Amino acid sequence: MRLKSSIVLALLGAGLLLLSVPAFAAGPTTLRVTFAWPNVIDPAIGNDYASSSSIVNLYDTLVFPNAKGGVDPWLATSWNVSADGRTYTFHLRSGVRFHDGTLLKASDVVASYNRLSTIGRGFAYLLTPNIAEVRAPNARTVVITLKEPSALFLPSLVRLYVADEALIKKNTKAEGPYGANGDYGTTWLQTHDAGSGPYMVKEFPLEQYLLMAKNTRWWGKFNPNAADTVRFIGTTEGVTVRTLMQNKQLEITDQWQSFEAYQALEKMDGVKVAALPSMTSFYYMVNTKKAPTDDLHFRLAMEYAFDYDAAVGLEWPGTKQMVGPVPASLAGHDPNVLVYKRDLDKAKAELAQSTYAGSLDQNPVVVQWVSEVPDEEKYALLFQSNMADVGIKVNVVKVPWLSLVENTSKLSSSPNIATIYVSSDLPEAGLMLKQRYSSSTAGTWQQNEWLQDKSLDDQINDALGTLSEPARFAKYAKIQEELVGLAPSVWIYDQIEKHAYRTNVDWPATRGETSLIQGYAFFAAAIGVTGP
Amino acid sequence: MPLLSFIARRLGYSILVLLGLSIVIFVIARIMPGDPARMAVGMMAPQWVVDRLREQMHLNQSLPVQYVFWLRDALHGDFGLSLVTQRPVMSDIVEFFPASLELVLAAGLLAAVGGIGLGVLSARHKDTWIDSVVRVFSYTGVVTPSFVFAILFVLLFGWVLRAFPVIGRLSEQVAAPPVVTGLMTVDSLLAGRLDAFVDALHHLVLPALALAMGSIAQESRITRASMADNLGRDYITAARALGVSERVVMGRFLLKPSLIPTVSILGLDIASLFSIAFLVELIFNWPGLARYGLSAMLHKDLNAISAVILVLGAVFALVNIVVDLIVAGLDPRIRLAATRSQ
Repeated sequence: MRLKSSIVLALLGAGLLLLSVPAFAAGPTTLRVTFAWPNVIDPAIGNDYASSSSIVNLYDTLVFPNAKGGVDPWLATSWNVSADGRTYTFHLRSGVRFHDGTLLKASDVVASYNRLSTIGRGFAYLLTPNIAEVRAPNARTVVITLKEPSALFLPSLVRLYVADEALIKKNTKAEGPYGANGDYGTTWLQTHDAGSGPYMVKEFPLEQYLLMAKNTRWWGKFNPNAADTVRFIGTTEGVTVRTLMQNKQLEITDQWQSFEAYQALEKMDGVKVAALPSMTSFYYMVNTKKAPTDDLHFRLAMEYAFDYDAAVGLEWPGTKQMVGPVPASLAGHDPNVLVYKRDLDKAKAELAQSTYAGSLDQNPVVVQWVSEVPDEEKYALLFQSNMADVGIKVNVVKVPWLSLVENTSKLSSSPNIATIYVSSDLPEAGLMLKQRYSSSTAGTWQQNEWLQDKSLDDQINDALGTLSEPARFAKYAKIQEELVGLAPSVWIYDQIEKHAYRTNVDWPATRGETSLIQGYAFFAAAIGVTGP
Repeated sequence: MPLLSFIARRLGYSILVLLGLSIVIFVIARIMPGDPARMAVGMMAPQWVVDRLREQMHLNQSLPVQYVFWLRDALHGDFGLSLVTQRPVMSDIVEFFPASLELVLAAGLLAAVGGIGLGVLSARHKDTWIDSVVRVFSYTGVVTPSFVFAILFVLLFGWVLRAFPVIGRLSEQVAAPPVVTGLMTVDSLLAGRLDAFVDALHHLVLPALALAMGSIAQESRITRASMADNLGRDYITAARALGVSERVVMGRFLLKPSLIPTVSILGLDIASLFSIAFLVELIFNWPGLARYGLSAMLHKDLNAISAVILVLGAVFALVNIVVDLIVAGLDPRIRLAATRSQ
């Protein structure tokens, strides 16, 4: 009996030993990054962080964003603009091939735009509203006509990913929601690519990872140590990410780890934490149409009562208070605009001039914060405490994101303050000013302020239609100054994007050498990986 | 014949339960805040895109009409498109269910072997230190959620010992076998790929063990209690008095009847593992149905939510029937009762 038991135990032990043989370390030319999933790699549908980071590696665009906020030639080697600023003629690079070897033609650009505008998703909202026509007079020329001249047009072209028209047609199902276009290749493009970018899809087991292989025929220039394969892994679980990093099975982490997790990661050998600037800021959107925040003096009192230094101190070192209404990283941001600081005397003086000065108890300020972002609670409580110092009563309410979206859609249900992080899609102040403060976004989650100020709308549109950069930036500065005077938001801080990364990774984003547009920090052709 | 009738009756009940479940989940999914069409196409998509999707999903119709559309399609195996993955929900389920099934089956096997084994050990050494150790383990296992074990295992076996992989179903350098069943271990064997089989098993150990810990603890408690209860019965005393060996007493006379409550609970436990596996699947980046269901809920993916809950409900009903059959096989009184009721 004992002998039998011993044999069984020995066999079990041997089995466990066999199973516990560690996996071989990954090759030296693999770049592995964790992301929050899902990852949608269809260029006409995906637009979130993981999706953008993937798509920029799979597809080429007419122009490529640079670190200065502008664009460089890419598939288009040059372009001309008509005198009225409405017609752009792009001259395409010759010899560019898609991953299947097909030559890229101007008609592919037209087809890619048509597909994007028909599907209406992804980054269509950036491009389609102002484009009147896209045509290809010959195989190497694309002509785009705009409805109105727009300074944002060229930067927005970084979201027009050029896909292989023939390959998509070949993989299109006849049945689908897009009429004669059937499913427009959407089913096939969920797990395949039709691009010409530096990497191509090798494996994509949904919900697990996206594995991309280097496109050795790519026309562009790789970092000499660019990885042979790139693996985007769909997990942000803290303990898993830390274990992978510790075991050298991960090169760069996602940005969603906790403060404590980054501190722990930073202590690992060969690991650093990068604090990348972003185009995202944390706003307290103050409703200007609802009592008591409809009163300018009341809003100014809040601006002066809030302790910005304490708020910034709650964040990762290097985080800075917002300077004005747009993130400081955007071109056209005005660094000289008035910045509110905590000054209780000024706050009390403003409050005394408010129509609600004598009825503060009857007019509490309702602050709604997003329950899916637990960190927001500490800022809400700080705000509540700061306001109590001047006698303003604040009711802090935790609401799910979807409820906040619904609440901000109607003036009647909009809270006095909604606390929301907002990102700009393009690295220029004008777009952020439009999406945050023009009347077109009142009644959406992007603007709880309900400014609805026609003069401001006209100024924003005028600035966006000004093609001369100095003149446009001067107009942006004037708008920012005006907005600060109106105090429609409490501008808390510009978010920095934290990633832990192994020091054997040569990552241009950490040196400020890549565009801040979402996804481009992970343009793998520019990232080097050396050694195991 | 009585057995077939018994199965048919249970299947009928199950269909009624699933129908009720479908109504409940359909209503709950639709009264959650937020427009599912807006959620699907993103906050920045133009309104006409939202309207087009609302039309496709029949969201402009009344709830009963929406339900009829949904039920009609579901009966044809069409749960619509997942708003998150943009694929037919049925394709997603076919892809993700086998991963969960493999995980749950492995966990179930561990729960059965580990739980019953520990229960027998504990009962056999009742009121000794062995019994005490097993009982402490059982209580700890029962009150500790599976995700805590998952984290502990990742830290211990993944970080400290570096003995097991902590994500996925296969290592980076191991090519996946052709998909036949979707169960990585089985497909590896079918393809004659021993390397992939060992690697898949290697990846399966930690998540399955983390998921099984609660059930191991539960089954060991129930087995021990049941055996301890039966230990004092007259027929055991009689068997011992007749000189029947202790091994036969324990194995044939004591264990078999004592397993009835264990098997009943084990079946339900295995079925419920599907629904509680999501955190384990998240931690181990396991591409299973539970994780898919969680993602669907977070993104208000109505079609996927309804389908996942319905599939889990069906699994639960099916396992219940199987458990009833096993219990009937173990206990002749239940078979007799079923026959008499005809």
